[in-house]
Formats: sequence, C-alpha cells, structure tokens
Amino acid sequence: MVKNYPPKTYTSLTEIQADLRTGSTTCAQLVAHYLRNIEAQNATLNAFVAVYAEQARARAVEIDAKIASGTAGRLAGMVLGIKDVLCYKDHGLQAGSKILDGFTSQFTATAVQRVLDEDAIIIGRQNCDEFAMGSSNENSAFGVVRNAIDPARVPGGSSGGSAVAVQADMCLASLGSDTGGSVRQPAAFCGVVGLKPTYARVSRWGLVAYGSSFDCIGPITKCVADAAILLEIMAGSDDFDSTVSDQPVPAYSQNLPLNKKLRIGYLREGLESEGVDAQIKRATSQKLDQIRAAGHQVEAFDFPLIKYFLPTYYVLTTAEASSNLSRFDGVRYGHRSAGATDLVSLYKKSRSEGFGDEVRRRIMLGTFVLSANYYDAYYTKAQKVRRLIAQETQKLFERFDFVVSPTTPTTAFLLGQQTPDPLQMYLADIFTVQANVVGNPCISVPNGADENGLPIGFQIMGSPFEEANLLAFAESLEKI
Amino acid sequence: MNTPTPHPNTSAYEMVIGLEVHCQLLTASKMFAADANAFGSAPNTNVGVVTLAHPGTLPKPNRKAFELAIRMGLACGCDITRLNTFDRKNYFYPDLPKGYQLTQDKTPILRGGRIAVTYKTADGRVISDAVALHHVHLEEDAGKSVHDADPAQTALDFNRAGVPLIEMVTDPGIRSAEEAAAFLTEIRKLVRFLDICDGNMEEGSLRCDVNVSVRKKGETALGTKVEIKNMNSIRNVQRAIEAEFARQVATVENGEKIQQETRSFDADTGRTTAMRLKETMNDYRYFPDPDLSSVLVSEQWIEAVKAQMPELPNAVFERFVAQYGLSDYDANQLTDSKETAQYFDELCQHTTNYKAASNWMTGAVRSYLNEHPSVSLPQFALKPAQIAAIIALTDSNQISTSVATQKLFSALMAQPNQTPLALAQQNGWLQNNDSTALETWIEEVMTAMPDKVKEYQKGKKGLLGLFVGEVMKKSKGAADPVRTNQLMTKKLEKA
Repeated sequence: MVKNYPPKTYTSLTEIQADLRTGSTTCAQLVAHYLRNIEAQNATLNAFVAVYAEQARARAVEIDAKIASGTAGRLAGMVLGIKDVLCYKDHGLQAGSKILDGFTSQFTATAVQRVLDEDAIIIGRQNCDEFAMGSSNENSAFGVVRNAIDPARVPGGSSGGSAVAVQADMCLASLGSDTGGSVRQPAAFCGVVGLKPTYARVSRWGLVAYGSSFDCIGPITKCVADAAILLEIMAGSDDFDSTVSDQPVPAYSQNLPLNKKLRIGYLREGLESEGVDAQIKRATSQKLDQIRAAGHQVEAFDFPLIKYFLPTYYVLTTAEASSNLSRFDGVRYGHRSAGATDLVSLYKKSRSEGFGDEVRRRIMLGTFVLSANYYDAYYTKAQKVRRLIAQETQKLFERFDFVVSPTTPTTAFLLGQQTPDPLQMYLADIFTVQANVVGNPCISVPNGADENGLPIGFQIMGSPFEEANLLAFAESLEKI
Repeated sequence: MNTPTPHPNTSAYEMVIGLEVHCQLLTASKMFAADANAFGSAPNTNVGVVTLAHPGTLPKPNRKAFELAIRMGLACGCDITRLNTFDRKNYFYPDLPKGYQLTQDKTPILRGGRIAVTYKTADGRVISDAVALHHVHLEEDAGKSVHDADPAQTALDFNRAGVPLIEMVTDPGIRSAEEAAAFLTEIRKLVRFLDICDGNMEEGSLRCDVNVSVRKKGETALGTKVEIKNMNSIRNVQRAIEAEFARQVATVENGEKIQQETRSFDADTGRTTAMRLKETMNDYRYFPDPDLSSVLVSEQWIEAVKAQMPELPNAVFERFVAQYGLSDYDANQLTDSKETAQYFDELCQHTTNYKAASNWMTGAVRSYLNEHPSVSLPQFALKPAQIAAIIALTDSNQISTSVATQKLFSALMAQPNQTPLALAQQNGWLQNNDSTALETWIEEVMTAMPDKVKEYQKGKKGLLGLFVGEVMKKSKGAADPVRTNQLMTKKLEKA
C-alpha cells in the first residue's frame, strides 16, 4: 500500500532508481506523488488532457514486483507523460484538435512501446498546440496551458503541456515532438531540458504527422542524463518507418567522456540582435564565459542565411502539413459536421469546424505553395534553400564541434500577447528552426532566469548522429 | 449492337490512340501496408490502420510489388529505374483514405520497352507490329465507393485501397481499335504468364483508360485528346474507340471543336458520354512523399528477379516446337494462355505421343471449354494424366480414336473418378483385335450379303466401306477399323 507521506521531488531517474534499490521509495509511491501533483495543479495549468491514474497505479504495482524479483527494465521508476500526438493503443489521441474528437488509437507508437518495454509508467496524455502547430500552446482545442512559474504566461509550444508537466513535477519526464522547436522552446520557457534528436534517429511510427521531413520525437526532462537514457531506448531502426536511420545507437546513458578541448561557435545574432532580450544576452554570454573558463575555445560566427530559416521552414512544413492533414475529412473517423448535406459540404464543414485558425492558416498556405502555378516559386525554391542551409551548416561543423545560441529571443511571454500577429509569434522559433531545417540534433538546457524569475534556455546543436557528444557536452554544462 | 453511323468523310481521318493500363499486382499484401491483397473478401476486412490512414501511420514499400514490376520490365525490354521515389497525388475523395494517392510521378519504375502485337485490320490485312511503352509506374489503388447499396447513402469498401498497381502508359502510337484490342490481349496474356496479375477485366484487376484523338491523314500535329474510362472488356475497349472516333470525326466535320475532357463508355448504348471537362479537373499538387525513403533497385536484385522469371510466352512457343516437335500453328494455339501451356506441359509428362496430346488439347478439350465458358482449365474435370491414359489406350490400339473422342471423353467427363480403361471395359469399347472374333464377324457379314460381295468382286470396290461399317456394328464399335479394313480386303479377294 501507498504510504501517506510525500516522497522528495526527484530530479533524475538515477536518484529514483537508487532509492528504489534501497527500498526508500516504490513505484507506487512515485505514482501517488505525481498523481497528487496533477490533481493539485492541473486545473490551473491544464498540462494533461487525460490522466491514466488507475492504469499507472496498477502498473506501478507490477513494476515494484519486478524490482523485487530483479527483473525490472531500465526505465523502472520513470513516470512519463506523452504529448497528445503520440499513439498509445486503446487510449485517446486528438493532437489537441476538435477534428479528432473521440478518437482512440488502435496501435502504439514505436518510441512509446520501447519505453513501455523498459518499464516506464505512462501517467497521462499532455496538452499541446493543435497538430503541434504553435509556439505558445494557445492553439489547443483543450484550452491554453499555463506556465507554472507564472500562470499568466505561456509555457511555449507546441509541447507546452509536456514541458509544464515536468516543470511542475507532475511526472519525471515527457515525450514531446519537435518540428521547429516544439520541444526545446517550451523546455526553455519552463526551465527544463529539451532534446531534439537527429532527424530519423527515432522512428516516427505512431507520431501524428505535421511536417514529415522535420518531425522528431524528443524527451523533455529535468536533467540531461534522463534525456540520454530515453533517447538510447527510443532510437534505432524500425520496420514500421522506412525513413528511420539504421545507424547503430550508442549507449548515450553511459556518460561518454568529453575530455578534449572543444571548439564552440556561437551565432553572433544570438548575442547582438536587437530582437534578443537583454537579460538573455547577458545569461548567454555568461555561459560562454564559463565554457571558456572550462578550457574550451569559443568563437562568434555569422550566418547570413538566418533570414531564410523561417520562410524555408514555413513553406516546406505547411506544404507537407496541407497534405498530411488531408486524411482528416470526416469520412472514416473523428469530427463529422452535423450540418453536411452533400460530399463537398461534408468536407468543408467538417474541416472548418474541426480545425482551429492556426491549422487552417497553415493548410491554406501549404496548399497554395504546392499549387501548380506556384510550386516552383515556393516549394522548389524552398527545397533549394533548405539544401543551401544544410551545406552551410555542415561547413560550420568543420570549424566547430558545437554551435550554440540562446534557445529563444525572449522569455515566456504573456498569454494573448503574441496571438494578434502570427508572424511575430513565428519569431519565437528563430533560433530553433535551423536544427529542423537541416536535421541536426539540438538540445536546450536551463541557463538561469531573468529578473522576473522566468527561465532562460541555452541551445547547443551538434553534428548529425553525434548525440553522444552533444549529450556529454550538455551534461558537462550542468556541472559548471 | 448500337454503334453510331460513320460520317461519309471518315476515311479522310486517322485515329491516334494511347492506352493507360492498370494491373493489380498479385502480391500477398498491399503496396504500403501488411493488410491482405485479396479480391472478394467481405467489405472492409482487409483494412488496418495504414489502409484507413489513421493518424501516426506510415507507408512501407512492398518489395514484392517491385519484383513483379521488374518482371514486366524484363519481359518488355524496358529501362529499369534504379532510384525509385514516390509522390503524393493530392485530391479529396471518400474512397481515398489519406487524401492523396502514392504514385511514381517523377521516377516510373520502367521506361521505354515494346510489346509485339499481331492483328487483323477491319479490311482483313494481317499486321505484325510493336506497341511502344512510354513508361510503367507503381502506385496504390483507391477503395471502392458503392453508390447502389442504399438509395440515400454511399457505402465505402476500403479492401482495395492500397492494393499495388502498375500503370502501363503507351506512346500515342496505336492507330486502330483492332491494334488497341490486340495490345490489351497481349498484355493480358503476358501478365498471366509472368504471374504478376490475374488479368481479369470484369473484376477490375486489369483496367484500361483510352486516350483518343483524330486528325486528317497526312497531318503530323496531334488533335485534342479525349480520355475514355469504364470499359470492362477488351471488346468494349474496341467498341469505345470506334464510337469515339466516329463522334470526333462527326464533331470536326460539323466545324466544332473537340473538348479536352474525360468521357465514359456506356456498353448498353455503345456511346461515350461526357464526365468532366479538363478545366474542372484537379490540381493534384504532386510532391515527393516525405514519409517514404527511396527504393534502390540494384543490379543484384534485378539479376535475382531474372533468375526466378517465369517462362515468357515466346520462349514457351519455341520450346514446344523444339521439345515436342509441334508445328508453329499447334505451338501457337497451345501458348495462347498460360493455363493451356501448363496443362500441355503436364500432359507431356505422362505421354510421349506429343502430336496426339496436342490434338487432344486443341480438339476435344478446347471444344469442351468453348461450350462451357464458365469452366477454365484449372477447374477442368480431367487431369492431364487422364488424357494421357486415353492416349495410351489409342496408342496400343485398345480403343479406336473415334471411340476415344466421341464416346470415352464424354463418358469420362461424366465420371471423372473412373479410369479410361475401366470405362472402356464397362461399355465394351475395347477394340477386339482377336482375329478369330473379327474373322467371324467378317464371315457373317459376307454370308449375309452375297450379292454385294459379288458386286465388289466385279470391281465395285467402293462397297468396302459398307462391309466394314457392318462389321463395326456387329462389334458395337469395338473392332479396330484399320484392321477390319485389312482383313476384309483379304477375305473378299480370296472368296
């Protein structure tokens, strides 16, 4: 039975597993603790759209028994939340959208299955921007998510619920998805760790598609080590995804040594641009000083193509999204308009009623850029620019081991502050989209707070499939 | 049959025809999903999450579909594309679950190639030519919208959604309805020999769209093309082309313009009717599918497909001539379908009298199948070994060929579990080659017809047939007519 005292607030799986081994806590107690935190805070924060309390309790009992018999998996003791874009068999799935009202997934995402196989406990499904489109978690059919530091402020997006859940200790870690910064930007706004792996490192089977050639499943955690073990378990080839890489998966969790002197490049705009908040600049340059002090070489670089990041990202992701979201037509599942009178009105009404403003905006934009008369001017050109950005980024990594910047130009903004102007909102992703455009792995780690106590993120990008080094460097920053 | 009356100036025009032939591939599973590819299942039973386009699903290319397409390419001398990608063809329709069809818009698996055809023109000339293929691409089929199951609603069956297809697109080099029909007949034969498609047009596993335009003979520019759909037999493809040609000639002769449009063929009226104009057609917004990695067809893979390639009709023909000593005519008849060729091959494993085997196939067996169109060789009651057993009976003179074809064959069809020998015995058809019995019958006949015997001996040799016939009657058909002939002649001359 669950004992009636609150366990301490854990910040890593390592700590939890140490206590599980000594018997000073149990999975049942951990689940009870997180459920209490959810119950106390979710009405305000709205991080979870569904809580699997009974299932989590039952699974905790099973896993405690496995621990006792020495047969527990590597994630025993990890209580996880999953973003509402990840399929979990026989559980609801809505991608934060009314169009999937009442939908239940009939299968489990590969990444989710792999963490379940290692005895993670899934405690619930987390709120997000509709179809992962947004930077503030204000575009959800389930309502806005609030930042636990200041509920008047946004948590970032699109994995806002996932970041807040970790921030507010409603679970130890979350699985989110990152198409243009959707794991890293909310992680930065909430003061937690967010990792976007290399594109194709983790199978997308069971991830609701937004921009297929950008989408990555990534963990949101309280420490780099937890991100490392989650990635190690989720990554690798998968028969269900023909695009996933079959490169071997290194043991990210084994604290690979990073003794050498590193060459760190920082984006000049990140420290000098007018658009970047002064306190973020200060925190970032302090971090750079610490890195120098630790014996690494730090150097500024310019990246003139930065002005093409957002246009390239929005042309290509909306093109893919306009097609990816065609399946939501009211015919086979999800929302079907009651007012439909014929086939065309069934499509128009179901989709107009089911999708929110931002999703409709992106579907229209994507449909436009793929249309016969504009295809070359937009889609083809954006593909060319994407290749150019990839080439230039690759050159950067000939000069540097890692490329760093602030994760975001501002700290968490007020709810409603950016919604009148979508283009202003898109700027929140200015530093994060590059990693998605080129496919490189990228992590956001906490880097202090501004004068209002709002968290600041520090972003590190590595070379493709070099997550081992990236995680080792990020972890070294936790110690300096 | 109702066909429009041709315009008097028809002979001044020629038709320009291009075909688009869709073949459903005989794979176990779908093009991008593990769901079964099976015709005739209960509605919506072969429909998993990928077929139904549930959120979070991804396509996975079926390698077997590639192999079947490569077979076609090897058979037709096409260039085989090494780096294959798929594009999304976006449009909304209820039987298209994803809202796009996966197809090879940019990198068709096959390019070029030719298919030889021989056909008879309307004025009776026999022409041998080759139809050039423009390309062949892989794609997935859509589901089926059933509009007549309910007066108010459309029912959807997604079993067919995602079934692998190859679409064969010819150059616009076909010049007559007969040539188009011959091409389709050849395609159907080829895909069956290659085991890549069952070639059944009525069930829709083989489908054909036709592009037709007309121009004055001698002109080089192409006229405005019209696409015709919904023909469920080769005959109807031919009729549709003829009807559309007549319509276009009449339109041009009336001084009107041909509209670029899609028309539907109505087999009842024999006419084509407008479906939709080109201007209202979809902008399909093709773009490369980011959910699929490209499929590389290596030299090694092609070699492996080549090694397992079923024998092509031409090769079977050559082999029949060489191995069984058949005439070109017989070999041609025996290779007009894969089933006939296979049956004949098996028959020849049970007999070495290949000529007799060929005669049985092109004679009694074919007649039976022609009279019973619902039966095809795989369901035919007699197995090759039974036909071979009949041949053995005639070869050993135990029964006469006429009894074998006229009596034993149908008796065996009625009782296919009996052996030919047992049936011949039961019915007293075994030829009595015992000279005593034969001599007795001959003497009886001669005794019964002394006048005729005298006439014969005076030179009316034509009476021999009468005597032999009488002996056959007495023997109830069991006497060997050849032996009877010989013995009868001897006796008559001695007498």
